[in-house]
Amino acid sequence: MISHVLAAAPAGGSNPTLASFYGQPWWMIVLKVVVLFVFLMLTTLFMIWAERRVIGRMQQRPGPNRAGPFGLLQSLLDGIKLALKEDIVPRGVDKLLFWLAPAISAIPALISFSVIPFGPEVSIFGVHTPLQVADLPVAVLLVLAMSSMGVYGIVLAGWASSSPYSLLGGLRSSAQVISYEIAMGLSFVAVFLYSGSLSTTAIVNAQANGAQFHLFGVILHWPSWFAVLLLPSFLIYLVTMVGETNRLPFDLPEGEGELVGGFHTEYSSLKFAIFYLAEYVNMTTVAGLATTLFLGGWRAPWPISVWSGSNAGWWPLLWFLAKVGILLFCFIWLRGTLPRIRYDQLMKLGWKVLIPVSLAWIMMIATIRVWRSQGGSVPVYIVGGAILAALLALAWAGDMASERRRVAREGPADDEEMEGGQSPSGAPSFPVPPLDLPHYHGIGVAAGVAGSLAGRDGAAAGIGGRPAGPAASDSVKEVTGA
Amino acid sequence: MNAAHVLAASTVGAGAVVAFWILAVISVAAALGLVLAPRAVHGAVLLAVVMLSLAVLYGVAGAPFLAFVQIIVYTGAVLMLFLFVLMIVGVSAADSMRETIRGQRLAAGLAGIGLLVLLALVVGHAAIGPAAPAGSNYGVLNVQRLAQLIFTRYVFPFELTSALLITAALGAMVLAHRERTSPKPSQRDLARQRVRGDHPAPLPGPGVYARGDAADMPALLPDGTPSPLSLNPVMARRRGSAIRVPGPGVPAPLPPGEPGKDGGPDAEPDREGAHP
Amino acid sequence: MLTLYVPILMLAALAALFAGFSLVMGALAGPKRWNRAKLQAYESGIEPTPQPSGGGRFPVKYYLTAMLFILFDIEIIFLYPWAVTFRSLGVFGLVEMVLFIVTVLVAYAYVWRRGGLEWD
Repeated sequence: MISHVLAAAPAGGSNPTLASFYGQPWWMIVLKVVVLFVFLMLTTLFMIWAERRVIGRMQQRPGPNRAGPFGLLQSLLDGIKLALKEDIVPRGVDKLLFWLAPAISAIPALISFSVIPFGPEVSIFGVHTPLQVADLPVAVLLVLAMSSMGVYGIVLAGWASSSPYSLLGGLRSSAQVISYEIAMGLSFVAVFLYSGSLSTTAIVNAQANGAQFHLFGVILHWPSWFAVLLLPSFLIYLVTMVGETNRLPFDLPEGEGELVGGFHTEYSSLKFAIFYLAEYVNMTTVAGLATTLFLGGWRAPWPISVWSGSNAGWWPLLWFLAKVGILLFCFIWLRGTLPRIRYDQLMKLGWKVLIPVSLAWIMMIATIRVWRSQGGSVPVYIVGGAILAALLALAWAGDMASERRRVAREGPADDEEMEGGQSPSGAPSFPVPPLDLPHYHGIGVAAGVAGSLAGRDGAAAGIGGRPAGPAASDSVKEVTGA
Repeated sequence: MNAAHVLAASTVGAGAVVAFWILAVISVAAALGLVLAPRAVHGAVLLAVVMLSLAVLYGVAGAPFLAFVQIIVYTGAVLMLFLFVLMIVGVSAADSMRETIRGQRLAAGLAGIGLLVLLALVVGHAAIGPAAPAGSNYGVLNVQRLAQLIFTRYVFPFELTSALLITAALGAMVLAHRERTSPKPSQRDLARQRVRGDHPAPLPGPGVYARGDAADMPALLPDGTPSPLSLNPVMARRRGSAIRVPGPGVPAPLPPGEPGKDGGPDAEPDREGAHP
Repeated sequence: MLTLYVPILMLAALAALFAGFSLVMGALAGPKRWNRAKLQAYESGIEPTPQPSGGGRFPVKYYLTAMLFILFDIEIIFLYPWAVTFRSLGVFGLVEMVLFIVTVLVAYAYVWRRGGLEWD
């Protein structure tokens, strides 16, 4: 123990390592844990407010602006209001799991942020300590493990509610999260290839400096962020982090139009608030992880990093929060911009695009690295050639398949032109609805109601604005043209 | 002396012992609960507790990688499969006590005895033989050392794992996959079907009345007759099965079977197209 | 080594306390004015569908999803230590990992080809 304390104390250097986490005084640990907890709570409140304000601005309306300056207290008041609402436990639910599910989804969400580094070693009350709650030799695995625990909250909430909407929402949500978790896990592999460690401090340190080069007598560095070096991995991670948090455009599990609230349809009061909290904490976590693994962690971005003091003291906290803030803004931006995609498209993207692309990218990068370290030895050429051949074969197969599909599509397209060609000009016509539909005459409507044909037809035309009868060809054309 | 320092001082000392006893109580209690729980899903959740305690024990024993693999693979993936299977099968409390396969209990008893013997051997071996030394494979460099072993000494088992994984995928396909007999209609097909069908425009929405539920109340046509087009055929069938009786003031329900005339099975895809 | 876990356990304890407190508070603080309709499952206003005893059922299709998840999860778990020690493993490590991935991809290709990756 003493050796640990001695080892950590003189390490006054700016870059923390795993060793910096030994021998911290207990009050420091408690302080950091409490501060992190408060930070996550405040971030959630702030994010809900920011989301409503920014979306409001994007939709030409002010958003909440009454409670407090700029409406900042809105989400806090909403939380208090939720606490004072009736806590409804519907009949027929599985009581135990219905109560446990919110806790199961919130606790892992809060835990996983503990391994995200906020900054280098700083001095707090005279004690040197890294601005990070905890680090492990396998820190990134902690985040993955916690996200796989969080799925339980979703599945159990959906199942325990014993309502079709909840069940479907829980099912979709869990299937989506586990599908995107694979692509997310694969996108980390390239980072570990470069950093040689699973610990978050080591990964941030690995992004400290790029290789040097000289330009007009000035020593410059190549970009060192993994987002630049490993751009495909970063892009895949960006997609999966949206999918993993069930946010638009991947928010199928809670698509209001079809599933009301998804797995938390039956939840009210603070139980609902806890689900909401878990969602926003998860967003913050994946944004923090993206910053740590790909955007250089707490290190200053390029023009600022020229200043030597930028990566010391408390400044890095600012860079870190700015990076996380930008990523969180992107979440809101996506929500304000993109429509929800279809469920089959979502799963197709996860399983048929992200996973094979990640695997191919990992193999490529591994081969290149071996080639660079070993020179061109025979096995490297064989493996590289095999991978290239496999990629070419895949591309060819995909090409053939799309060609087949295209041919298959052309067939029906031809006969459509023949049978739908009612247009007098002979131009290829859009399938126009027949001018004389049976239900204009009440056929197909229940026989019991077909009493007064004429009056009904007139009324229908008046209400629907859709002309009935042969004299309507002009306006049908107009519809077609539009 | 505070808790953190006590834990720090004791890589194999007091902290580990305390953790072991706490986790032992939790995991044995959870395991008993798993056997005794009347609902299968509760059992699965308790199994998750057992596995989590196991993971923490691995962590305490200085194997962080194994600890998190235990959580990610066993608790996160395998147990999730169990949970899915339970929810696919939908086990109720009444089913689980009946013996469905002949000789099931006998076989289970024999397997239990076999497991007991195996456990006794393992525990005996661990108790009698010397404990493995806490060498350099433990702790911080755990991942690297583990990788060195997996990818050099145990290459063959590692490659065999992939064969096992293939078997698992094939098995799942055989058990759970249903081939499509007809190609899936694309959005294009659905749109074309809708435009060619009887209702290019959306169907009329259901009626909204103070005393009825909107989705299962037909809209009224201008002459006061209910429009069957506004009613989902499934709803109409449910109403036909006399789940609820409309109160006074609500239009009388359509005779059952009437909506089927238009809202029959062939009209359903059209309806889906009309209400995206 | 155990020291490293202490902050994580503390945070877990704090989170559990918070969650437990919120759950109890939510049940205690709110009013209790229930009626029959409120206690039914919400189904956009129609009579709730009766649920089978023992909970609702998932479609069997999701068994395949969960199984494929296990498959790739295990692959990822092998990839991580390999990536970390990649430099010292060299060509040998690369070749064995390519063999492993290709074997797993055979299963993946089979499932894809048979239409196991199609969702409705």
